[in-house]
Amino acid sequence: MEAKTHAGAAASDEDLVSSEYLTFTLGSEEYAIDILKVQEIRGYEQPTLIANAPLFIKGVINLRGIIVPIVDLRIKFKLGSIDYTPFTVVIILNIARRVIGVVVDSVSDVISLNANQIRQAPDFSGSFDTKYILGLATIDTRMMIVTDIERLMTSGDMELIDSASE
Amino acid sequence: MAIDMTQFYQVFFEESAEHLAAMETLLLELDIDNPDSEQLNAIFRAAHSIKGSAGTFGFNDLAETTHILENLLDRIRKHELVLRADMVDAFLECGDRLREMLEGHQGRATADPAQVEAICARLRQLSSDDAPNPAPIAREVAEVPAAPPLPLADDEIAVIPPVPDNGKRVYDIQFVPTQISVKGDGVANLLDELRSMGVLEIIVQPDVQGAEGFWEIRLTTDVAKEIFADQIDFISDNGAWRVAEDTAVAVDGSMAFGFFGDSPGIPDSVRGYGFFERPDDLSGVTQPAVSGDDDGYGFFEPLPKELMAVLEAVPMAEEGDGYGFFAPLTSPAPAPEPAVPMAEEGDGFGFFAPLPPVVAEAPAVALVPKAAPVAAAAPAPVAAKEAAVPAAARAAARPAAAAAAASGDSSIRVSIEKVDQLINLVGELVITQAMLLQTATQMQEQAPERLTVGLAQLERNTRDLQESVMSIRMMQISFVFSRFPRVVRDLSGKLGKQVELKTSGETTELDKSLIERITDPLTHLIRNSLDHGIESPEKRVAAGKSPVGTITLKAYHQGGNIVIEVGDDGAGLPRQKILDKAREKGLPVSDQMTDQEVFHLIFEAGFSTAEQVTDVSGRGVGMDVVRRNIQEMGGRVEIDSMIGVGTRITVRLPLTLAILDGMSVAVGDQTYILPLSYVIESVQPEPGDIKTLSNQGRVIQVRGEYLPVLVLPELFGIKSKWRHFTQGIMIVIDADGTKAALCVDALIGQHQVVIKSLESNYRRVTGVSGATIMGDGHVALILDVSAIAGMAKTMMQKAG
Repeated sequence: MEAKTHAGAAASDEDLVSSEYLTFTLGSEEYAIDILKVQEIRGYEQPTLIANAPLFIKGVINLRGIIVPIVDLRIKFKLGSIDYTPFTVVIILNIARRVIGVVVDSVSDVISLNANQIRQAPDFSGSFDTKYILGLATIDTRMMIVTDIERLMTSGDMELIDSASE
Repeated sequence: MAIDMTQFYQVFFEESAEHLAAMETLLLELDIDNPDSEQLNAIFRAAHSIKGSAGTFGFNDLAETTHILENLLDRIRKHELVLRADMVDAFLECGDRLREMLEGHQGRATADPAQVEAICARLRQLSSDDAPNPAPIAREVAEVPAAPPLPLADDEIAVIPPVPDNGKRVYDIQFVPTQISVKGDGVANLLDELRSMGVLEIIVQPDVQGAEGFWEIRLTTDVAKEIFADQIDFISDNGAWRVAEDTAVAVDGSMAFGFFGDSPGIPDSVRGYGFFERPDDLSGVTQPAVSGDDDGYGFFEPLPKELMAVLEAVPMAEEGDGYGFFAPLTSPAPAPEPAVPMAEEGDGFGFFAPLPPVVAEAPAVALVPKAAPVAAAAPAPVAAKEAAVPAAARAAARPAAAAAAASGDSSIRVSIEKVDQLINLVGELVITQAMLLQTATQMQEQAPERLTVGLAQLERNTRDLQESVMSIRMMQISFVFSRFPRVVRDLSGKLGKQVELKTSGETTELDKSLIERITDPLTHLIRNSLDHGIESPEKRVAAGKSPVGTITLKAYHQGGNIVIEVGDDGAGLPRQKILDKAREKGLPVSDQMTDQEVFHLIFEAGFSTAEQVTDVSGRGVGMDVVRRNIQEMGGRVEIDSMIGVGTRITVRLPLTLAILDGMSVAVGDQTYILPLSYVIESVQPEPGDIKTLSNQGRVIQVRGEYLPVLVLPELFGIKSKWRHFTQGIMIVIDADGTKAALCVDALIGQHQVVIKSLESNYRRVTGVSGATIMGDGHVALILDVSAIAGMAKTMMQKAG
């Protein structure tokens, strides 16, 4: 529902070139995305269905006068329990001059990561293509999948954009 | 103080373009045989305004060309020359050249100097041409150096060559100054100012110096009244002033007095216009003439007193006159006319022949080098009735002109982005207001009354606000229509056809963005009508029609649409020829096609039935572009045609691109908006109404027509609440000429919705043209009826 404030414990103060990432969970997995792509975080509201759209595109909502499509990543990646409660969270992203809403299980916190902390992800096949993964980051015992959210959202897989760039 | 003029250039360009457009419209409206003097004046004013501002901004080429144009116009409006069709042609061409020059200054195009020179020469030629005139009067100074003295009787006034005015007039000025200006230096300043303009004579003044009271002064000057009238107005008590041009004093040998037809508060649209002349031109030219009164006018022709009344009625004192005075510079021989001293004839408006004094004025001529040849002071006939128009009648015409001028001044230029931003914000406001209202409605009795009342008021106010804001963008379609008389005129001339263009409904308003986009398609339709529709005069006569074809251009509102009709009474569309051509092109056609369907073939790309390709049309590009443009605007095109009777092309457009009148329909738990313009009716189907065709396509009979049934829940993959058609409702829609019944769950209501793009953040969705935000804050999709009809077809094909 609400944006978690900066969790200072996880931040590495010694590395100044670190960037901040917003982490969210899908099922048991934790993802991190560049916080600069995030416009806001809001609760889920019933969107308006779009005819003949893929299942994971829930529809469009009115975000203060802007029509914003809502993507449920849980459906897209078949993760987590797909139910909509008052605690279901929508991350509003600002990507490629577009506004897109993403439904996730929950938003965890904001962390700082520098380049050293992000490791190469091993190749694996799955619904979440590795080309969208920038790397894996570990903080304490948590492993976070650092995601190139812009590439993911603008990809043809997401069917969000007319002429997908991939 | 140096002012950067460039910052005003854009305004100048816009204004000049408007003036040119106005001029063109007026020229086309002009009845050549019997020109309306108001119109002539308006044309002159347009040219004059362009010249004035072009000069101010230093666009000398524009100023010079307009100047030549203006001189000719001036002579025509003063009836020195008779308006002829070739003059109108020249004016129109000159307008084109001026437009090119304007664009050239804006860096968009370049004007061909040779063409400019050519048109200037043509105008000069016209200006010096001998106008048909029954009276034995010399009109061209160069040809007839000596204008014989005219023994004019009253009844001969009709052919009196009127007389360019030499600029010197007498004004009786009466005013009651305000207290403030009396106490200050207001009056003294005014008097000084007037003295600087000419000879000032104080007739009546208050007994006590510095007291309030009535002043009467007489000013003998060459300066136009308007120049000092403002100053008098400024110091005078609430309009208590009057400037009268005086002709009664003619006998006294200095000037004419007694013309009191003016009411000072109203701009004198007839005579006054010329007074706007920039003083720098005039002062150089006319100032010497004032002092050198007797010499300067020594060569005027004798003029009987009777003439003076006539002359007074004729526009005078314009700049053209000033130039006219110098015309003899180019004349080989000055007229050996007996010099009649001004004092004797008592009239500065006398018929004069070109004379030596001119030479004395030579330095002044340098100010206006191009003026001389044009403004050859050739007299032209004055129609008696024109001259005899009572001043009173003319005065009556003035308030209207003044009102028009006032309305023109009270507009501002605002960038379209600002307006759009305003419209968006108002759209948001409307949505917010609707949300509040809905919340209050849900509270029912719990809502305090004051809240309910306040919300009701808010609703009214927002609606008014929305309407006013939307109206900012609205423009009259005359903006588009006004260019067509020219198109028709030029084209009919080129094609050797006689065509009359009739327009109606020019005041119909439509969104500016649509206005801009409809221009090209309409031009195309009109060209097409002219080229293919209207037959040649011979053919028309042979067919028993009037040789003059008619193209009608009509605009009106119908429902939420604006309808523009382009009709002609020409040959009509040849059905068989179109079919043959279509077959030749390999289009799928059959003889069973309805006329509508056949005619729509002409909108196919590369389709032309013209026997020969002309530079007007026939290349087959165009009609498809027309249709595409119109469809992009959310509009539709229909064609009706009958062989030998004519063709009518009807374009339907939404009033605006931003707002749509829609019917909201429920399908499952979703709400959709159906553009109201597509909706014909809705019917509740009875059991058994719906029949199947080969067990796939379903049809319903509505008013004797079998319409295909489109089931929206099926098309959109939505679960519907009903299981049988009788539980739903059929909406009969008209999608681009094909009717269909759209089956939905329920009708909710009719709304005016603000169209939002779905594509800005998402992508195009088949069957959906956009989205809108409903009163409860939810998004509703706007259905694209044509696409839905198409979807149904492909689904059926798949099924089959």
